[in-house]
Order: sequence, then C-alpha cells, then structure tokens
Amino acid sequence: MPISVNTFWTILLIIHGLLAVALLGALTHQAVSVLMPARQAAGPAGFVTRFRGVNGAGYATAICVLWVLTFLMGAWIYTKYRIYVRIPIEQAGYWKTQGFFDLKEHVATLGLVSLPAYWYLWKNAQRAEYDSARKALTVLIASMCWFLFLVGHVLNNVRGFGS
Amino acid sequence: MSTTATTPSRVTPTTSSVAASSRFRTFAVAFAISAPVMYVICVLWNLPLFTFHPATNRFAWGWEAARSGEGPAMYWYGWTATIILVGGFVGLAATMLPDSISRRIPLALVWLLPLLAIPIMIYTLMPFWTHP
Repeated sequence: MPISVNTFWTILLIIHGLLAVALLGALTHQAVSVLMPARQAAGPAGFVTRFRGVNGAGYATAICVLWVLTFLMGAWIYTKYRIYVRIPIEQAGYWKTQGFFDLKEHVATLGLVSLPAYWYLWKNAQRAEYDSARKALTVLIASMCWFLFLVGHVLNNVRGFGS
Repeated sequence: MSTTATTPSRVTPTTSSVAASSRFRTFAVAFAISAPVMYVICVLWNLPLFTFHPATNRFAWGWEAARSGEGPAMYWYGWTATIILVGGFVGLAATMLPDSISRRIPLALVWLLPLLAIPIMIYTLMPFWTHP
C-alpha cells in the first residue's frame, strides 16, 4: 500500500525521535554513573542508586551506534526541513528558534567527531589515567544530547506534526 | 549505613584488538582534536566540501551560492564531510608518529576543544540572536 509523502517524512521524524530517546536515556545513565558513581549499600539499593549504578562501559558502543543513526536520520530529514520548515519559521519571524536549530546542527557534528575518542576511552575504562578525560567527554556528550533533544522537541512544537 | 565504593563504570575490560591498539588511540585523539578546530575554520571561512541544493537535489563541489529559482543552498553537509576527511587524514598521519610523541598529546583536548567551539558557533549565529 503506497503511503503519502507526508506520512513518509513523518515516519522518518518519528524514527529520528525514538532513536534520540534511546540515545538520551543511555547517555544520561552513563553520565550519572561517572558523575556520581554508585556505592554498594548494605541494604537494598534505591531507585537513584540503581539509576547511577549501571556498567557505563557496556553502553559505549550502543551510544556510538545510536548517535550515528540519529545523526543520519536527522541529516536525511534536514533536506525537507530546510524548505518546508525553516522557510516558514523565518517568514513567521522566529529568528531565535532558527538560530537554535543552526546551533543544533553544529553541536550534533561536534558530538559526532568526538565519538572515536569517547569509544576508545570507555573501552579502556580500566585505565585510571583516562578517568578525567572519559568523565569530562561523557558529560559533554550527554549535555550535547540533552540540548539537541530539547531544541528538536521545541522545533517540532513550532512547526512539526500537523502543521 | 555501611558502604563500599564501587566503580561499575570501570568493570568492563578491553575486549577488542582495536580498543587495545595504541595506534587507534592516537588516531582517535588526533581526530577528536583536529575535527572541532577544522569545523570552526570551515564555518568561519565557509569551506564546505560540497554544497547541496535541496529543492533540486543538486550537489556542487565546494561552496556555491543559492541560485535564483532553485531554493536555498545547504553547506552543513559539506562542512561535516570536510572535517571528517581532514580529521581522518590528520588522525592517520598522527599514527605515524612515534609512541613517545603521540602519548604527549594532552587527552583533555578531546573534550576541551569541542566545548570551546560551541561559544564560537553561538557567536557566528549572532544575526539570529539580534534580529529585531
């Protein structure tokens, strides 16, 4: 059964969003695990302890794959965004909103090119001399991901589904 | 409550030969350092590898202005392609350095340079922030 052009791009946008949610969850777990490492409690662990008590190294490859997939989906959708979303946003005078989108594209690329070093640092997490760089890069990438997600969410509210 | 410190984020040892390779370490660090620097240069001096015209699905090498009647031009793909190529080249070149030199590259730069690139990117977008 053929689908309409609008449906096609909407499906791509949903996939992009779902990948971003998975990425955001994994990165947030990992960032919290390096910022506030869990301490093994004598009693049963609470929610916060379990949240930060993940094996961060086990997330590294999945996070890299998710970032690349989310990036590729976003780059694909961007071709339509440039014409069917950005131009109306500019015509409506939402300049700061558009500025944040342009910043989003820059941040997404800066995160992408950090991935090989990020992956290496996590795959050698047993080496204490990498701890500070691994921690800082993980928190930076997680912060980038939150920024990308929130800007994407707001942009979808400005001119997304149904507009 | 008695507690004992654990570091769950550090329990998985290296499992692949790539992750254990010092050459990959050098490549990854050199790539992560050079790419943000190159990205800032590409954006400031507008150096995309190619330009994409989404309304006509047309690619052009290097920078090309939007053509009348053909919609906007997109440079972000070209900037990204440029820095991946240049970063990859710098990373490969760095692997030829002796270990004694490549080990001296400060690891802090892998997070510091992307972080420093962000305020510069914010500055380049000034027309959006100050548009009346």
